[in-house]
Amino acid sequence: MSPTGRSVLAGVLIGVGVAAFLDETVFHQLLHWHHFYDGAGLEAGLVSDGVFHAGGWIAIVVGLFLFADLQRRHLTVPKRVWAGGLLGWGVFQVYDGLFQHKVLGLHQIRYEVDLLPYDLAWNLSGALGIVVGAVLLTGRARQVEAA
Amino acid sequence: MSGMHEHGGGAGWWPVLAVLAVAVPYLAAGLRLHRRGDRWPASRWAAAAGGVAALATALALPPAPFAVHVVGHLLLAMLGPLLLALAAPVTLALRALPATGRRRLLRVLHSPPARVIVTPPVVLVLELGGMFAFYLTDLFALAHAHPLVMAVVDLHMVLAGLLLAVVLVGADPLPRRPRLAVSLLTLLVAAAGHDVLAKLMYARTLPAQGGTPAEIRLGAQVMYYGGSAVEIALAVAIMAGWYARGGRELRRGVRRTAQAAEPAGTRARG
Repeated sequence: MSPTGRSVLAGVLIGVGVAAFLDETVFHQLLHWHHFYDGAGLEAGLVSDGVFHAGGWIAIVVGLFLFADLQRRHLTVPKRVWAGGLLGWGVFQVYDGLFQHKVLGLHQIRYEVDLLPYDLAWNLSGALGIVVGAVLLTGRARQVEAA
Repeated sequence: MSGMHEHGGGAGWWPVLAVLAVAVPYLAAGLRLHRRGDRWPASRWAAAAGGVAALATALALPPAPFAVHVVGHLLLAMLGPLLLALAAPVTLALRALPATGRRRLLRVLHSPPARVIVTPPVVLVLELGGMFAFYLTDLFALAHAHPLVMAVVDLHMVLAGLLLAVVLVGADPLPRRPRLAVSLLTLLVAAAGHDVLAKLMYARTLPAQGGTPAEIRLGAQVMYYGGSAVEIALAVAIMAGWYARGGRELRRGVRRTAQAAEPAGTRARG
């Protein structure tokens, strides 16, 4: 794979991992907005949830090692890492917000409040990430200076 | 406390024997290498000690409350096997055994069943099948009633976990080591399966004999987050191995370029 492709891939993996990490630590553990399981969703949803929980952790580890490998070879294309990172984060956010929360009904962002502003903020921030990431994928991008 | 050993199936000496059966041969083989003047890395000694400690702790934990049982399960089926795989027991055996023993071991390792058992789909079925059957069916109650069943379940969990860890991160030679992408995919399936199992236990309050619903739900969460911790460790171990292999390749490349450049024209490349 080309240095550009590997930069995007490292970014995507780190982005997905960061989204999963924030979801897990901030919304589940710190704010307790999310529930571990709220009894409402289909059991099939648990499979999707399990894959993304495990996938998020694995993605962040693999992404960071790929990035470290690019850095030691002086092949990183920083702009493309950011592009991949924002795309990965945004796609995960929207997947979680629309498919897991709404279609599978796994759990909601928060309980006993009007959900609309939360859903809008959640999904629009993800969509913004996708747009900015896509823009950063275009145009010229330079590799880091070879030492 | 000894009458309460769950994994010991109500006292008895077999947990001690099981731990010794792992620790003593490793120690003997390592010492044999040292006497011969060969070095066995300190990191592998440490991994082996950690693995044995994890197994011993798991076997000494009481069966209740359910969350404590789950901690034992994580140590026995996941953390212990990971550390033991990092201790490279097969490599140690191959180096310590006399020629005939080494030939016999190699014959077993290269036999058709051994080649099949290390393929990722088989490893995954053994690993996840055992756990799902134990926690979601009556096997849990059966094992708690019959020490022998529990011993077999424990043995299966250790061996399946060891197989997964050896295939994914072990330093031991394999007939065929899966490519990086296949290793990561295997880990993803195993980890996702473990997470799904924990959530199913939570959602259905299983195993029913595990205790009160609150105790089972707590145990399921320990299973979920504790499992994640070991899965992250597995991912780091896989990628650290990949990163180290890449580093060795890079250094070889640098040496080759230096050799080729240095006596300009006086020597052929390569």
